[in-house]
Amino acid sequence: MTLVLAGLGLVFSGGALAALAKGNAGRLISTITTLASFLLLLPPIYSVLTGGETRQMVLQWSEPAGMVRFVIDPLAAFFMFIIALGGWLSAFYSMDYMRAYREDAQGLSAYYFFLHLLIASMLVLVIVQNAFVFLVAWELMSLASFFLVSFENGKEEVRKAGLYYLVAMQAGAAFLIAAFAFMSFKAGSMDFARFSEVFHQDAGLSLWMFLLFFVGFGAKAGFFPLHTWLPLAHPAAPSPVSAILSGVMIKTGIYGLLRILLLMGPPEKGLAMMVFLVSLVSGLFGVMNAIAQRDIKKLLAYSSIENIGIIGMGIGLGMLGQAYGQPGLTVLGFSGALLHVFNHFTFKSVLFYGAGVVYARVHTRNIEDLGGLIRFMPWTATLFLIASLAISGLPALNGFVGEFALYYGMATGLLSASPGVILLSLVGIAGLAFIGVMAVLCFTNVFGVSFLGVNRRPFAHAPGEASGWMLLPMGLLSVLIVLIGLYPPITFPFLQQVVGSLAGEAAPALRTELGVLYAPVVRAIGLFALILLGLFLLRSWMLRNKRIAVFKTWDCGYQAPGSRFQYTASSFAAPFLSLTRAVLPVTRRLLRPQGLFPEDASFESRPRDLADVVLFSPLLGLLRKFFGLFTWIQSGKTQRYILYGLVFLLLVIIWIVGGG
Amino acid sequence: MMEGLIVFVLIGFAPFLFVGIINRVKAIWAGRRGAPLLQSLYDFVKLMRKGQVVSGTTSFVFRIGPTVYLGGVLLAALLTPVPGAGAVMGFAGDFLLFAYVLGLGKFFLILSAMDTGSSFEGMGASREATFSTIVEPAFFILIGSLVLLTGHLSFEGIFQTLNAISGYTVLVSSLSVLCLFLMLLTEGARVPVDDPNTHLELTMIHEVMVLDTSGPDLAFIQYASALKMVVVATLMAHLLVPPDLPAWASTGLYLALLAATAGAVGAVESLIARLRMSHVPQFIFLMTALAWTVFASVLFFSQGDF
Repeated sequence: MTLVLAGLGLVFSGGALAALAKGNAGRLISTITTLASFLLLLPPIYSVLTGGETRQMVLQWSEPAGMVRFVIDPLAAFFMFIIALGGWLSAFYSMDYMRAYREDAQGLSAYYFFLHLLIASMLVLVIVQNAFVFLVAWELMSLASFFLVSFENGKEEVRKAGLYYLVAMQAGAAFLIAAFAFMSFKAGSMDFARFSEVFHQDAGLSLWMFLLFFVGFGAKAGFFPLHTWLPLAHPAAPSPVSAILSGVMIKTGIYGLLRILLLMGPPEKGLAMMVFLVSLVSGLFGVMNAIAQRDIKKLLAYSSIENIGIIGMGIGLGMLGQAYGQPGLTVLGFSGALLHVFNHFTFKSVLFYGAGVVYARVHTRNIEDLGGLIRFMPWTATLFLIASLAISGLPALNGFVGEFALYYGMATGLLSASPGVILLSLVGIAGLAFIGVMAVLCFTNVFGVSFLGVNRRPFAHAPGEASGWMLLPMGLLSVLIVLIGLYPPITFPFLQQVVGSLAGEAAPALRTELGVLYAPVVRAIGLFALILLGLFLLRSWMLRNKRIAVFKTWDCGYQAPGSRFQYTASSFAAPFLSLTRAVLPVTRRLLRPQGLFPEDASFESRPRDLADVVLFSPLLGLLRKFFGLFTWIQSGKTQRYILYGLVFLLLVIIWIVGGG
Repeated sequence: MMEGLIVFVLIGFAPFLFVGIINRVKAIWAGRRGAPLLQSLYDFVKLMRKGQVVSGTTSFVFRIGPTVYLGGVLLAALLTPVPGAGAVMGFAGDFLLFAYVLGLGKFFLILSAMDTGSSFEGMGASREATFSTIVEPAFFILIGSLVLLTGHLSFEGIFQTLNAISGYTVLVSSLSVLCLFLMLLTEGARVPVDDPNTHLELTMIHEVMVLDTSGPDLAFIQYASALKMVVVATLMAHLLVPPDLPAWASTGLYLALLAATAGAVGAVESLIARLRMSHVPQFIFLMTALAWTVFASVLFFSQGDF
């Protein structure tokens, strides 16, 4: 526990120091303190995850908190690892990335302070077992990330996105506050252990409480239809922040859900089905929208919604297993969910860092303006390719590992006796396959259009390769991606305790179970590696001392092809989008050429979010209308405001006199 | 040992013969004598011995793409059981790896097409990716239904149990065969989805993606595409070979079915024209509909008392 406290203190004080430091010292302090705290946190995390004793610390605090317990159990340790590692890598990446903003010394000070505050608050909220402190940490996290998102607040769109984000987070938090307040009222304490008793006593209450928690945590995680803040906030934030938001912060919503599940015990059947279906819809909706995007970071944000959906499907599957008493389903569901939590952290961070490199070198996020970057930044391109393959769930990389557990779980669900589980499993299998293949379309598009071919617009200057500061975090995570993909069993020692605690199964049995499941997969992937090696050798042997002529791309005999002839991202996605028009509203603006000598004609298309179009825009419109009824109060005349004050005082006096 | 040998001989020769039979059927239908049955093998050898012309805009992705594509199809072939001989590698959940390793190959094929920066190849890549989004879920629904019916999670378990259950599986089997045949036409880039003989780049899917590929790389891609058709045809044959035959008889029957499938592809190609590109998705959605029908009939029968 001492190590944990030291680590926490280091992150927090590091942020303060970095904010106060002048010049380059701040960046250095930030990198060193986050690394040191990661290293300090590693031993306790390792020991708890691999079956050591859970660490605990109890503080007696004044009301309203009361007794505050800090507990590092396997679930907390699992998320602590992601937070600490992600925090350090983003700080490291910022070393170089944030140099572009060095003129804005004040902004940078704030940036480091809030980055560290964000990491520290996330660490606190996963270990605290007290509703009050949890909510304080939750709000600190939201506020810190709000300031990080609005880093470039000179830009109108960033300010808008930041405010939208803040409001969305507060709306989500309102549900959490309500749920926690009600729970502590019922339990007579803010301590999570007492909540567990309340959950077990009153089934009807736990149903409603779970729904409140699901909305509150779901807004943070980005479940459909509460995801609308993600595609706004992620592009607005600087890339290291986007990476930490998407790779780490939205997972705190998943953490919250799992924590509540742990307290609540086996859920109702209906709840399990709801979580599963909402997640499936999030997955499908997220990736469909990702395909329609041109802004690389917006695309990645939608893809995060997709991956949260996949994680949620795992949680839903685990809950289904609990509700229907099928331990196999529970184990596979939760294993798949947790594997995907970690895997998504690795490849999504690499993708956001990669997008950051592109933005830092080419100064655009619009993939239609890119092309051929692989020749300017081969390392960035290669790492981006690895992460793209992984996020599409393709084998020999880690994305497949988590999805395999989910598929396998759903396939065993097909053998269940209950028709409900059978139907959900089949819909889930088909849905996950659909998500996977749409991810292939999405990521071949973004990688192919931005990194392959030739540049569609002339670059202002030849974009250089990313610096070592940027490549190292990407490289480190890519090593993890490949390692887990080639040999999934290395994750099991770290998975067994946390899945065991969620599924209520003994850890050693669970590890053997997973080992048996993955052993043939490991063998098949080994065989695949051998096949590829053999084929590459055959190819280079056949091509030895042969003439390899370099010529231009076949252009159908046309003699003057330009780089604008290339297929664009929009046209690549167009056939698919024409199939999914019903759920992907697109605003089109067409100015037709007119007259004999048309001067200007233009076409513009902008994908819109269905949840926004159908749900939030009308809802916010209604709210605006309702509050519009009271605008006459705001007259702008001082005399009137004084009158309001007097009337108010008068009313208070009447109330006191009359009532008292 | 014997099993492995059969599979390797099949992987080596069946794809060339399969294409040979298709072309022979088309030739006879059109009143020609046609090329030798092993013409594509001769083409393969010739291409393997050639040098290459590569586009100056390409990167390493273009160079490794065809090899990864072939590697994926080869692994899928090794995961596919052959009637009477079994699979080189089979395990619970092998159909997942089967579909995903084919997906990996497709990912690289699409990228190597986009690497040339050609608008034609981008067009082909886009179509390939789009049509896959329809095929893949349908395939999973189909296999999922068979899992539900047989209670097994591996290809081998599914096929061994399937035909042994009772009479009603004939319905499921024949619907599944039809469904897989549509998958073969789509994945193998045959008429009515794609026409391998067309000369106009604008109407191609698969051929246009390899416009700039030459030499051993082109040989790899052509062989891999043929092998992919054989793999799907093998799955189809499994649904038709009755159980309890001696091993040599089931393998023999399987080879006959393989030839018949190739003949059917050739017949389809001779009888109907390629669909208009905008109508292709509707055609592939037929596969989805069939897969759901399979699921419905499995659910109906397995929940009822038959």
